[in-house]
Amino acid sequence: MDMTFAPDPLALLVIGALGLIVVGAAGLAFGRHLFRLVLALGLAEAGANLLLVIAGYRWDAVAPILTGSAPAAMVDPVPQALVLTAIVIGVGVQALAVALLVRVKLAYGTLDLAELKALVERDIRAAAGIGEPDSAQAPATLPGPAGLIGERP
Amino acid sequence: MNALVLPVVLPLLTAFLLQPAGRLSAALARWAGPAVLLVCAGLLVQIALLTGGEPVTAAIGGFAPPVGIVFYADALALLMAIAVPVSALLLWPRAEAGEAGVRQSALMLLLVGSGTGMALSGDLFNLYVFYELLTVASFGLASATGTGRAYVATVRYVLVSGFGSLIALAGIALLYAQTGSLNLAQLADLAPERLANPLGLAAFACLLIGFGVKAELFPVNNWVPDLYACAGKPISALLAGVVSKLAVLVLLRLTVLVFDSPEAREMLMVLGLAGLVTGELAAWRARDLPRLLAYSSIGQLGLLFVALSLPGPAGLAAALAVALHHLLVKPALFMLAERWHGSLDKLAGAGRASPLAAGLFTLFALSLVGVPPLPGFWAKLLVLLELARGAGPFDLTALALVLAVTVVEAHYLFRLVGILYSPGEFRDRHSPRALAVAGLGGAVLVAAMLTLPAVSDALAGLASQAADTAAYRTLTLGGGL
Amino acid sequence: MHRIATLLFALGLGVLLLGLAAQLPLGATPMAIGNEILARAPGEIGAANIVTSVVLAYRGIDTLGELAILFAAATAAGLVLGHAGSRSRNGEAGFILRTGSDLLFPLLLTVGFYIVLHGHLTPGGGFQGGVVLAAAFFASFLARPSHRPGHGVISLIEGLAGAAFIGIGLAALAGGGAFLQPLLDRGMLGELVSAGSLPLLYLAVGLKVGAELAGLLAQLAE
Repeated sequence: MDMTFAPDPLALLVIGALGLIVVGAAGLAFGRHLFRLVLALGLAEAGANLLLVIAGYRWDAVAPILTGSAPAAMVDPVPQALVLTAIVIGVGVQALAVALLVRVKLAYGTLDLAELKALVERDIRAAAGIGEPDSAQAPATLPGPAGLIGERP
Repeated sequence: MNALVLPVVLPLLTAFLLQPAGRLSAALARWAGPAVLLVCAGLLVQIALLTGGEPVTAAIGGFAPPVGIVFYADALALLMAIAVPVSALLLWPRAEAGEAGVRQSALMLLLVGSGTGMALSGDLFNLYVFYELLTVASFGLASATGTGRAYVATVRYVLVSGFGSLIALAGIALLYAQTGSLNLAQLADLAPERLANPLGLAAFACLLIGFGVKAELFPVNNWVPDLYACAGKPISALLAGVVSKLAVLVLLRLTVLVFDSPEAREMLMVLGLAGLVTGELAAWRARDLPRLLAYSSIGQLGLLFVALSLPGPAGLAAALAVALHHLLVKPALFMLAERWHGSLDKLAGAGRASPLAAGLFTLFALSLVGVPPLPGFWAKLLVLLELARGAGPFDLTALALVLAVTVVEAHYLFRLVGILYSPGEFRDRHSPRALAVAGLGGAVLVAAMLTLPAVSDALAGLASQAADTAAYRTLTLGGGL
Repeated sequence: MHRIATLLFALGLGVLLLGLAAQLPLGATPMAIGNEILARAPGEIGAANIVTSVVLAYRGIDTLGELAILFAAATAAGLVLGHAGSRSRNGEAGFILRTGSDLLFPLLLTVGFYIVLHGHLTPGGGFQGGVVLAAAFFASFLARPSHRPGHGVISLIEGLAGAAFIGIGLAALAGGGAFLQPLLDRGMLGELVSAGSLPLLYLAVGLKVGAELAGLLAQLAE
């Protein structure tokens, strides 16, 4: 089915779902503040959930709940059950992420990704008993996106 | 075989009841976890003995697949399932007093239940749920040291994992939109007709990224070094050892059953090679032991993905050899690192301070590099032979890269062994348990070396059984209950 | 520079995904298992809401995993936050908030239990109702921070509700069936007491979700 010539509601929904995933992924890749990264994750997750619901949609069908009226074609009930599971998983992960952010903020006083990276690197080195990195031995940092996805070990 | 569900459910039940039990008796809360794990391991061994390695299924809720969820236990699944409670018992977190200790035990139990489920389940979304449970439980355990850097490393791990799981979810949506099924056996039936297209490949890529997070696959492994440097060594050992292998097992099932196409294999090989090269080079530059081990773990899992991309039972046997070798060696190395925390330069004299530990470390290092009589050599040789047999330009490039990277690996590991045995003042951290776990790993390694023909026969048997997709499909879909 | 990079990345990814999605069979899903479930579920499970049949019967172990994930998140958050939270906010909220929460509490409780218990008949169920229950307790906690429900009570409800879910599953196993096989009489389709053990499972889910979310929120609020 060609979406460019058929601006039907379902195509709009798919575009919306993909848009959420794209915006979330971009936020994850380029965000610089941890809380914003968590929010971006939530956005992208909403997009994935929407995509899953759409995967079970069927034209001219009703919700899979039996009522007294005459039986009609129903949409696929399985993706709806899956999305319920996926949403609950997302809630759990986000709550835990926020709890961790509270601790990070208490420990370092900042949620800025670049600052935290430097602080943690210093901490790891101190714990390992390695001095401050001098310019010759410091790990090369590639220019590029600052976020989590763009960065390589 | 309805009892197959017990090793998954009993740890969850215990985890739910652990906190109320802790209010009744501290000893109960402390010993219930390990006791249940022993029971689970015993149950799984008993199932393995009863079936004699022949595959069995269990339809959850009594609903015949593909409508219901099915557990499928062949020899490989049972082996991995047994490895979960056994590893968890060996690497059980040090008993902490009070509520924190109870919570850690509960999380360990959840991790074991979900890990066992990942080894056994034959339903894609059910695998995803267990994978998520395992992930969330490992978040809590990784941050349990309570240092600021552990929290930051865990946040990073949470974000990368969260990204991976939403991509996996999108992959499941793509797969479902095309096939309308989640059962691996039914997906295998439908794959040639419905999934041999760009959309099917995209779904595979999504699932690869999603499950690849735990398997330390190349683009989504940047959480590894910091986490292993900051989290407790037992949990690092658990993640690098058995957890990464469970993710690999899921990907193995997916490639063998559903996505058995040259394009999917190429994707695996490219990502595997990228992980191999970047991991080993970063390990070569590392200046502290935990991060050296973390990077080398990325490298070895890269090799595992290269092996996984090889077609046929022989390729599968090579992948299993690499996986089992890593499953054994890496946790042992991490436990040794608990004794030798810190900078590489400060390890001088460690060989004299604890000869046994240094000896074990040398043994593992030699096996990792692949020095002949040791099992690591045979695992690497299998991969290289299969690559040479493939003989395409792609395979030969991979062969050359694996050999070149082995030189790098040998250089940094032998340099480290050299430091251990150089003269110096070194004060050992006394940790008998770490030494015992590493010693056990060493003993198994040596035993595998001594009984090599039997081990390689068993591996070939495992691989041919896992590669037998027709048997998987008939047993799951045709056998009913 | 940074913004341009972000924009380019998003555009590239978006075009790629759209190209893929254009090939999706939208609105005409294959329903390989969906059709069979739609045909079998009313007779086999007896729940008017077929999604509930999927959630609690056909994919019951997923739901158990889901409960365990929420439990793992709450446990891990408890481990992370520990007892560091100082009880700084001892003061009561104002009159309006207190009265409002007092009025809301029984209402939310009723609605929550209604949604939980009708999960097999209407949209809703243990998860949705559980969230409403958690909101009832959280609202009263916000109004009276000193009167928070004890941690022991929460973990007891949590533990027992989770154990009840698994217990119902194991009862079927002990009776010679499979884990989580539906028990009890299916009853009349559409009645409140129908669908066998499904409403009991949803009650366990509702209590567990409610207790867990209330605990999580209270921990984060401290």
